[in-house]
Amino acid sequence: MLRPFTLHRPETAEEACALLAGLGEEAAAYAGGTELLLMMKLGLLRPRHLVDVKRIRGFGDIGLEPLSGRRLTIGAAVTHRAVEQSALVRARCPLVSSVARHVANVRVRNVGTVGGNLAFADPHSDLATLFLTLDASVELLSPRGRRELPLDDFVRGPWETSRASDELLGSVTLTPWASDTAAAYVKFGVHERPTLAVAAALRLDGTTGAGRNGRDRIVEARVAVGCVSLKPVRMAAAEARLTDLSIGDLDDAARAAADAAAAGVDPADDLYGSADYKREMVAVFVGRALRIAAARARGAESAARFPHTVVA
Amino acid sequence: MSARPLRVVGHPVPRVDAIEKVTGRARYVTDLTLPGMAHAKVLRSPYAHARVRRVDVTRARARPGVFAALAGADLTWCDPYYGPAYRDRPVLAIGVARYEGEPVAAVAAVDEATAEEALELIDVDYEPLAPVMTLEEALAEDAPLVHAGQPPAGHFADLSTLRPRPGTNICHQFQFARGDAAAALGGADVVVEDAYRFPPVQHVALEPHAAVAAWDETGALTLWASTQNPYSVRVELAKMFDVPLARIRVVVPHLGGGFGSKTYAKLEPLAATLARAAARPVRLAASVPEAFQTVRRCASRVAVRAGFRRDGTLVAVACDADYDVGAYADIGPRVVQKGTYTATGPYRVPHVRLEARAVYTNTTPGGAFRGFGVPQLAWALESLFDVAADRLDRDPVDLRRQNFLAHGEEFAPGDTPIDGKLEESLSRAAEAIGWTRAPAADRGRGVAAMLKASVAPSVSEAIVRLHADGSVTVLASAVEMGQGTRTVLTQIAAEVLSVPLARVTVVQPDTAVTPYDQTTSSSRSTAMTGRAVQVAAEDVRDQLLAIAAQNLGVAARELALADGAVVAPARRLTYPEALALKFGMSGGELIGRGVIAPGRTAAPLGGSTPFWEMAVGAAEVSVDEETGAVRVERYVSVADVGRAINPLLLEGQDEGGVVQGLGHTLLEEMLYADGHLLNGTLLVYRVPRADDTPSELECHFVENADGSGPFGAKGAGEGSLIPVSPAVANALARLTGVRLRDLPLTPERVWRALRARSPRA
Repeated sequence: MLRPFTLHRPETAEEACALLAGLGEEAAAYAGGTELLLMMKLGLLRPRHLVDVKRIRGFGDIGLEPLSGRRLTIGAAVTHRAVEQSALVRARCPLVSSVARHVANVRVRNVGTVGGNLAFADPHSDLATLFLTLDASVELLSPRGRRELPLDDFVRGPWETSRASDELLGSVTLTPWASDTAAAYVKFGVHERPTLAVAAALRLDGTTGAGRNGRDRIVEARVAVGCVSLKPVRMAAAEARLTDLSIGDLDDAARAAADAAAAGVDPADDLYGSADYKREMVAVFVGRALRIAAARARGAESAARFPHTVVA
Repeated sequence: MSARPLRVVGHPVPRVDAIEKVTGRARYVTDLTLPGMAHAKVLRSPYAHARVRRVDVTRARARPGVFAALAGADLTWCDPYYGPAYRDRPVLAIGVARYEGEPVAAVAAVDEATAEEALELIDVDYEPLAPVMTLEEALAEDAPLVHAGQPPAGHFADLSTLRPRPGTNICHQFQFARGDAAAALGGADVVVEDAYRFPPVQHVALEPHAAVAAWDETGALTLWASTQNPYSVRVELAKMFDVPLARIRVVVPHLGGGFGSKTYAKLEPLAATLARAAARPVRLAASVPEAFQTVRRCASRVAVRAGFRRDGTLVAVACDADYDVGAYADIGPRVVQKGTYTATGPYRVPHVRLEARAVYTNTTPGGAFRGFGVPQLAWALESLFDVAADRLDRDPVDLRRQNFLAHGEEFAPGDTPIDGKLEESLSRAAEAIGWTRAPAADRGRGVAAMLKASVAPSVSEAIVRLHADGSVTVLASAVEMGQGTRTVLTQIAAEVLSVPLARVTVVQPDTAVTPYDQTTSSSRSTAMTGRAVQVAAEDVRDQLLAIAAQNLGVAARELALADGAVVAPARRLTYPEALALKFGMSGGELIGRGVIAPGRTAAPLGGSTPFWEMAVGAAEVSVDEETGAVRVERYVSVADVGRAINPLLLEGQDEGGVVQGLGHTLLEEMLYADGHLLNGTLLVYRVPRADDTPSELECHFVENADGSGPFGAKGAGEGSLIPVSPAVANALARLTGVRLRDLPLTPERVWRALRARSPRA
């Protein structure tokens, strides 16, 4: 059961950081609470102070990064539901929109936040995997100032990040794909959290071929696999096998890329499955994600339905 | 009984408590608050098996706000043991903790937070012992013993049949034989055999166990409990506290699901003990993880050999079943015995040898769960039936039809003859699934059948009161746990007394008020309690007819009840008029009594089943061959219910049974490693969700009014669950050629089996 705690509701990041610094181990940052309160109810975490970040100015905003005018910044306290409903997200990062619709369940989506999801770094979650393919970086605020870290450096392992105890995750910034990118996000699993997740994005070059609007050649491929290794990872070897291919040749290359991805993960036996099964499923679902993305490149939506699978 | 058409029985009337449930007004145990009520929390063993050398509760007791802190050793003022088969379970561990999660100490405090904090002030000195976590470990030579001594027998009538094997972990053995199975198997043309495993699964009732206990100044105890059988709970408490039955009152509000998990005492003994120690009312409500530490289904390993003649006639079945009943027997021995008794399913088998053992392990106690031992055996037999059909080159539907017991045929000497038409259920299931038409290339179909006995002998009593204004009160102790029994009892009384449903009130079970009913389980409430209500209502009817006959000067046989009145050929006497004539004033009431108590018989288990539950399931499945994920695309359930008192509720109940069956078939299993339960929360223990429901799910009913219950009804509600796993596995085998023997059919397990499939011959 939930033990008593003191709730602090600062309105500025400075105040919040000062509270975190002053209270030290006794405090935890609190946004949606969907992960934190669960752990507290189970007695696994027992902070005596919660620092609510939802009132901090800017933490609930979604906007374009002022500097680039192109990158998309999502405040740490933005809920999955707000991401799903944001016209800006849909316009700039449509796949982020559709994935937001499939995070956990509707109760979690209504209160759970993007920042909380990333900062908690549960290995079986969606956002970090997808964001790796969007060159995401996170903003960390502390009494010492502000720093920005690539997401891959921020997430260090299961429930482990580079965030210092007095640091606050302020926002995450995504680099939208070029408009001629076809992408898919696929997750598989029977439990409440996914067994594995695959994000795949194929940037096409429109100068040759018979694809949609004449685009045919894959000039850049991004593949990330989550939930299987200790942290979500970009699969460079798989990406290399896809680059510079004609989309028409993807079927063969998808198999090779899938095998490369399977070779690149580091699964363990656990409740979600045996290591060999999970490795094989990485191959299966990287292949499926690529084929779905390829179909989308042709302007088609794959009709295939797979059990225990969510396609976004 | 008159032949007039039924007015409310047989009609799909909405449940009488629908509005209060959907508006959130229905009250459950945890909604109850009593003045001065304390809240309890339980300290549980972190070890599967440990000597409990010392429990020090002094610091907890001293904490402000704590009214009582108890350890097992403190319980010298009552008999701290309980259990329906053996009284082997202490309220709090005494000397030894036998499973992870066993209550070791408990606190009652001013609120839950204080109680929880006080638990941390309790020091327990454990000495971990080697646990036995599986059937294999428990049955090994020189296995550590879960129970060193032999516990005393519980309160069950057939306790004389309990046969423990001292010095082993076997707490009960059951044997049943007829003919000469060994010889018949030796002479059979085709013998199929294999061993099948059924996993430990939890009921996951939406409402976990809960109880509020209060002792009054006279030393009488009242318990509001989420229980399926208040009268069994009362017996346990009477023994523990040496109090007459009449001074213990068990009241049962709505239940948020039971499925067997709330049969027999669970939290009630601890709640009552704490309430006595705290000298104030105590509320004890389990969380979902604590429900996983309270009761589960008995896991099993079942080896079956079945012998057929070349022409398909089943001649012999030999079955060796081991059930893992966990750390305390609970009702496990009866699960084992009753399940094994019908291991031969709905088939005619001249030569039978059935042997079963109930085995203690250091895991959550195994108890009753929808199907009561039968799903474990049907999983084995019905899978083997399809293997046999393959070997005999026969259609699985035809092979079953050939061997079905016929209506009126003897199942076992002294027991009730078969009271339904299996052939009709099978034909309807086959037709609905389209058995004779080829399925799509990526689909496979399978069927399975089941037969189950209800508890016998058993007793149900009911009282029906007709009031001065013509309204009716039904007193009966069948528990409303979502299955709709309150509505069904309302319909029965309204039918017999010819009043609108809204004029009938069914009182919630309360052992101080509503009469004895053995248990709300075993699919028995409609047939047994419902029949008692019918008899009680007929008693009132006969009193009305007698009053009318006397006052109208007409023979009773020329009178009938209609629209709240006694009707003679030319005259009509309303119930208020009849009562006023009888009592000479506008007061007084007619009281009718119904007792259904068939008693002991020469049947093998000591009583003849009041009805046979019979059902057939047919599944159509697809499989994602790359991941091993099985999807049940279509499912048809056909149950032989005699008469559907309420087809709407029955359909809902059987749909629920099918979906619950999909749980242990495809998803559910309590997983243990290193003595710990790994998945005792809903984050990682996956029950079926709406999106796992087959896109076509049909529940049909065979109604020949051939049951012993009211209006020819039989029991229902368990039958639909039992064929699910073999029907699905048979469909998968017909689709892929792969035969799985271990449940659940998880994607990984199916994927491995598909990969191991020998290359196409």
